[in-house]
Amino acid sequence: MSPRERASSVTRAFRAPRQGTSAQISSRNASTPRALTSGRPPDPPLPLESLFDAAPEAWVALHVRSTSTNDIAVAPTIASSESAAALAHLAEIAGGFTSRVSLEPPDAVLLEVRGSFRLFGGAQRLCRQLLDRCGAAGYALHWSLAPTPLAAIVLARAGQGAIVLARDRLVGLLAPLPLALLRWPDDALERLDSVGVRTLGAALRLPRAGFARRFGPKLLLTLDQLTGAAPELRRPVARRERFRAQVEPAFELQTVALVLQHLEPLLDELERFLRARQSGIDWLKLRLQHRTHPPTRLDLRLATAELQASHFAELLSLQLSRITLPAPVLRCELRSGVLQAFVAQSESVWRPGEHGGGAGRESPALIERLRARLGSDAVYGLCLVPEHRPERAFGIAEPSAAPPRSTAQTWWTARRPLWLLREPEVLIDAPQGLQLLEGPERIETGWWDGREVARDYYVARDGSGAEIWVYRERLPPHAWYLHGVFG
Amino acid sequence: MGQATCDTTAEPSLERLLEHPAIWRGRSVARTATLSTGCTRLDDALPGGGWPAAGLTEILTARSGLGELRLLVPLLARLGAQPPPRWAVWVSPPFEPYAPALIAAGVPLERQLVVRTAEPAWVIEQSLDSGGAALVLAWLAPGVATSVTVLRRLQLATQRSGVPAFLFRPLTEASRTSPAELRLVFEPHVTGGRVQLLKSRGGERKPLELRWQEFSLQGNALQEHALQEHDDVAS
Repeated sequence: MSPRERASSVTRAFRAPRQGTSAQISSRNASTPRALTSGRPPDPPLPLESLFDAAPEAWVALHVRSTSTNDIAVAPTIASSESAAALAHLAEIAGGFTSRVSLEPPDAVLLEVRGSFRLFGGAQRLCRQLLDRCGAAGYALHWSLAPTPLAAIVLARAGQGAIVLARDRLVGLLAPLPLALLRWPDDALERLDSVGVRTLGAALRLPRAGFARRFGPKLLLTLDQLTGAAPELRRPVARRERFRAQVEPAFELQTVALVLQHLEPLLDELERFLRARQSGIDWLKLRLQHRTHPPTRLDLRLATAELQASHFAELLSLQLSRITLPAPVLRCELRSGVLQAFVAQSESVWRPGEHGGGAGRESPALIERLRARLGSDAVYGLCLVPEHRPERAFGIAEPSAAPPRSTAQTWWTARRPLWLLREPEVLIDAPQGLQLLEGPERIETGWWDGREVARDYYVARDGSGAEIWVYRERLPPHAWYLHGVFG
Repeated sequence: MGQATCDTTAEPSLERLLEHPAIWRGRSVARTATLSTGCTRLDDALPGGGWPAAGLTEILTARSGLGELRLLVPLLARLGAQPPPRWAVWVSPPFEPYAPALIAAGVPLERQLVVRTAEPAWVIEQSLDSGGAALVLAWLAPGVATSVTVLRRLQLATQRSGVPAFLFRPLTEASRTSPAELRLVFEPHVTGGRVQLLKSRGGERKPLELRWQEFSLQGNALQEHALQEHDDVAS
């Protein structure tokens, strides 16, 4: 009998009706993907256990049922990228229930949920919600809850939807299960099989010293970890720091409206991703791939960190309305910027300024909308630069919703015009026709960076009666320039 | 006889009806919320005692930069200081708003938002409707055809949002009709400007000559200091 045949026979034996154990739920629950539909008959009650003798930890194992082999005791030999993606997705979902999530490649995810019982209303409800979420995502799972991670995995592999909170009940549940569920090396299993040890219970009853001598301390440690006699340290899953998702539609997208429609699920996924991390993003990149043309790229920059899918969708639609697609879209890819801590704010009842209502989201939202349509360069704020050259004394700043700072130091003594021309204009027949009112104010600086200025500034009145700011170059040919307008 | 009794009973309710802000009769001054201009004489000349707080104001000038912006600097400074922080949106200004002068006039720079656009009407409407703007200043280039429909939309948007909007337009538009709440012509004058109301719900129609000193600008002391210092060289 090859190990494989033996293992499957073990499985068959194991799959015999097992009404004996009370802590089981019907396997229908675990085998059919669960959908969140209201018309579904109520679930059979999950086994309940008193919390009096509960262990300090409670691990849930989610075991993805392999579609290629129905042999649960044997691990799929090749860890395909598909299964890795499935585990990553399951870990994502699990992240909504606890922060302690760990992967057991190639086909299981573990999560420690002891600390989340109160929030979710007990072990039973937590498991129910977790399975519903996984089912809605399209996963067919075996699952189990046990005080040790290994026991949870073994029970899940066995297809037992069991909730075991107390450690002393654990051994009784594990005892009848086949040893192959531990996925030990085949030679060890064969040797144990030859001495008649085929179940976990039989293995646990073996003398420890002899077992260690024959099979090595590593397998003994596994048995201890199974029952909780030895701790098992699990590496927490590294959470993704950025969001990246793509959609490849079944047909080429001709219009912007279709692109938006296909982006919607991605944006929903993005929102879930961000909510699980209690973060927001202020930068979102969209890449639309075409067959021959270079890809169309869109950058969405937000004034404050945001996580709502509807908000992203609105801004993306504004931005997409600006462009014309050069060719049909084959693929849409969405990437986020760095995650930022998100502080949720409640909407105000009053309009800003009305009855003391604050402008919380409105000010940054205005900038986002304008930028989405006009481009980010078209919308800017102003700032003061400590510099004597008038054309460099102000700068374009990122508009900030920050409260006003203390008033800046003013270093100029003569008055300055409200408007400055981007480029000084030559005044050909000056100073005739100009009535010089104030000045000169000599500004002679900037020799160190090659943009030296040597000018005498005057406030003047021109023919139409407007006050203007003019200067005369100190160097020949002493040309006159218009630099500002007091209007 | 029957009519007379009818009149006496109807009059109080009619009075009350006429007090409604949406009803305005030629010679009376409309009851609208206003914002002080910062200049007492200008306040007196304007209906309601200031700029319309929720309405479109058109300021017509022969060209940009004649001094018309200075009419609004006190308002910019005052609204900028009011919580909650909201933007003063400058839509397509003709030149660069010069930060040092704004600071000197007490206008908070971090509340100013400059938008360069080819679709000013869209930006104005968005700004008004967003609730994130405290006031909107917009320059409609002479080339941009501005239909009465667009102006009416903007006027409705200001009323809806309760945010004032100021349109700077060329003098050539004076002959066209406009749904704006207030229209005035500004022209420069010695050390000040001349303001004449074109359209208003009440108020004085005589040209009003203003001196910049009358505006309560924070920069006044600074200006006078500069005047004295350079007096001898200025000729």
